[in-house]
Amino acid sequence: MDVKRQQDVKRPAEALPGGTPIEKAPDPDLGHDIIPAERYTSKEFAQLEWDRMWSKVWLLGGRSDDIPEPGDYICTNIGKESVLLVRQKDGSVAGFYNVCLHRGNRLVPEEGIGSVAEQDGVFRCGYHHWAYSSKGKLLHIPDRETFPQGAPPCGRVRPVKADEWGSFVWFSLNPDVEPLMDYLGVIPQHLDPYHMERMAWTRDITVEWDCNWKASVDAFSETYHVQGIHPQLKWYLDDVNVQYDCYDKHNRYLIPFASVSPRVQLPSNMPPLIAGMMEAAGMDPAEYEGPISGVREALQKFKREHGPEQGKDYSDLNDEQLTDDYHYTIFPNVSMNVHADDVMMFRQRPHPTDPNKMLYDIWMFDLVPSDEKWPERPRHQHFKHGDKTIGQVLDQDAFNLPHVQAGMNSEAFPGLWLGEQEVRLRHFHRTLSDYLYGKNGPGEGDI
Amino acid sequence: MDLGLKGKKAIVVGGARGIGYAIAELFAREGCDVAITARNDDSVKDSVANLKKYGTKVVGKGCDVTDGEGYREWMEWADEELDGVDILVPISSASGGLGSLKYWERNFAVDVMGPVRAIDAVIEGMVERGSGSIVLIGSTSALEEMGGPQAYNALKASLITYGKQLALAHGKDGIRVNVVSPGPIEFEGGNWEMMKGAMEKFYNSLIRKHPQGRFGKPEEIARAVGFLASPAASWVNGSHLVVDGGFTNNTHF
Repeated sequence: MDVKRQQDVKRPAEALPGGTPIEKAPDPDLGHDIIPAERYTSKEFAQLEWDRMWSKVWLLGGRSDDIPEPGDYICTNIGKESVLLVRQKDGSVAGFYNVCLHRGNRLVPEEGIGSVAEQDGVFRCGYHHWAYSSKGKLLHIPDRETFPQGAPPCGRVRPVKADEWGSFVWFSLNPDVEPLMDYLGVIPQHLDPYHMERMAWTRDITVEWDCNWKASVDAFSETYHVQGIHPQLKWYLDDVNVQYDCYDKHNRYLIPFASVSPRVQLPSNMPPLIAGMMEAAGMDPAEYEGPISGVREALQKFKREHGPEQGKDYSDLNDEQLTDDYHYTIFPNVSMNVHADDVMMFRQRPHPTDPNKMLYDIWMFDLVPSDEKWPERPRHQHFKHGDKTIGQVLDQDAFNLPHVQAGMNSEAFPGLWLGEQEVRLRHFHRTLSDYLYGKNGPGEGDI
Repeated sequence: MDLGLKGKKAIVVGGARGIGYAIAELFAREGCDVAITARNDDSVKDSVANLKKYGTKVVGKGCDVTDGEGYREWMEWADEELDGVDILVPISSASGGLGSLKYWERNFAVDVMGPVRAIDAVIEGMVERGSGSIVLIGSTSALEEMGGPQAYNALKASLITYGKQLALAHGKDGIRVNVVSPGPIEFEGGNWEMMKGAMEKFYNSLIRKHPQGRFGKPEEIARAVGFLASPAASWVNGSHLVVDGGFTNNTHF
């Protein structure tokens, strides 16, 4: 690799009991084939994704703490569908399609959070006031006697599966889907130690991007691009000594933070982003006497020592999790940068009809110290790519993607030519193929 | 022009990287025996190995200039190894930092006391031999604002004053003392390389202001230091030379 020096990254020999596993997963044998560009551009392929994947898997719907009381709901869309995920009196979450059986109107017009607690838990269609229970059961049709054929015999809006894990609400359009915990596989064991339920919203943004949803998943699944489009991060993280782990459907990589990339020489001055990381932990960079290469470990020690007095309980986390980026992809469309003090996650959703467009949801959460009041939830923002900044690093990613998508459509581009640092992209495409074509993979003529 | 450096003995404190290394390299190339130190012993060893290619005696080992005792011992060791010192360039620096009082302590310990202790260690021998040349390294940050009001800028200014007054006091002993103030210098592993990557806008704003459209290179400082340190600069004493490619706005009357 194009490096200037060797860097030894100190890692714990083993994980804490019950902690996030740290050992490297066996490298999967995924071959070296081109990933066809058509997967990113073809309407037929997008339809296949809908028929065999989107409508079959568990999908991230929202945050549990957005719907604490019975009647509180999340309205979220996937492709052409919209669903309502509603808190029930018994504390569970029920889900149903966001559609009125009468003329097809959306029961809730826009995505977002809301409550029908004040309406006795009743969803009333805005068009003719057909009324539904918080489970989607049809309760009332005004002028019922003017429908000689009676009410729709199903008696309810079609349900969707709903469940919760990790402070998040999940749903599936597949009535026969496996239990959520089975679907998530290793993920709860890996992420429960972070206690995401102790974290509060800091950003909730949806951006319309002109690329296929998978181009976005790809962009966050490798660190190879750091030396390309995020040059500033070379003085923040080690993009070379990265551990890649592929599991059943999901995968991750572990990036040492508070480190200088081996791609550049160690500077003698404290890199500004690393100084910022120290300051955020309550550590004064000016007081630090050691070498720059020792900051990561010093920071781990400092947080371990001072966490409790700051109301931050890191006791379930391994030392390296106090500084490093544990990045997970929960198939199909959740990319999560998980840190001891915050989570920065992206939900990547397909456009209902155009494979060249997508919705990019940015969800960010900060750990709330135990003695502090929870901050007010930020309002959801929705805008088009380029209308507003989403932060320097994400702007760099976003800037690139429309051009990637344009190139994907070129006659001269057969497909993705992937290297070892991009093993998660291959693994992701393999999982996708498993859903689309079964375990034997694409057949003759399949994309 | 022959600088007359051949056969001289030079100490460069902070000579393992960047400007310091370029100065040590110039001395070695011109035929000086050289002793270097820096805090990181490994990088000193690497630099010593590289400098030996010029065929003169080159020695070095790691030393923390904030450790008064250890630093004194290092200076004595270097003096013995070289069998006397003709040239001293103490360039070690803790670099900039804004916001914490701690930076004042550190810049005082490294940027001020580093040179002061080195001078203290060699001056007696120079007086005895009736000759010597010292070049201190200031900074254009002493002359014009850079990165906000901070210890580095103010304490670098103190070296300009100290250098001039040392020159006044020791001219009679055959010792010359001059100061070179570099503008921003960029090199691999240097802070401006990092700023170019890590704070691109700030970096570019400075490059745009620069009359030459770039920052300096270590060897461009080394050549100025090499001249002032050499017998060729016999009549230059107590001077302060700004070497910045014209970067500073003020006129140096």
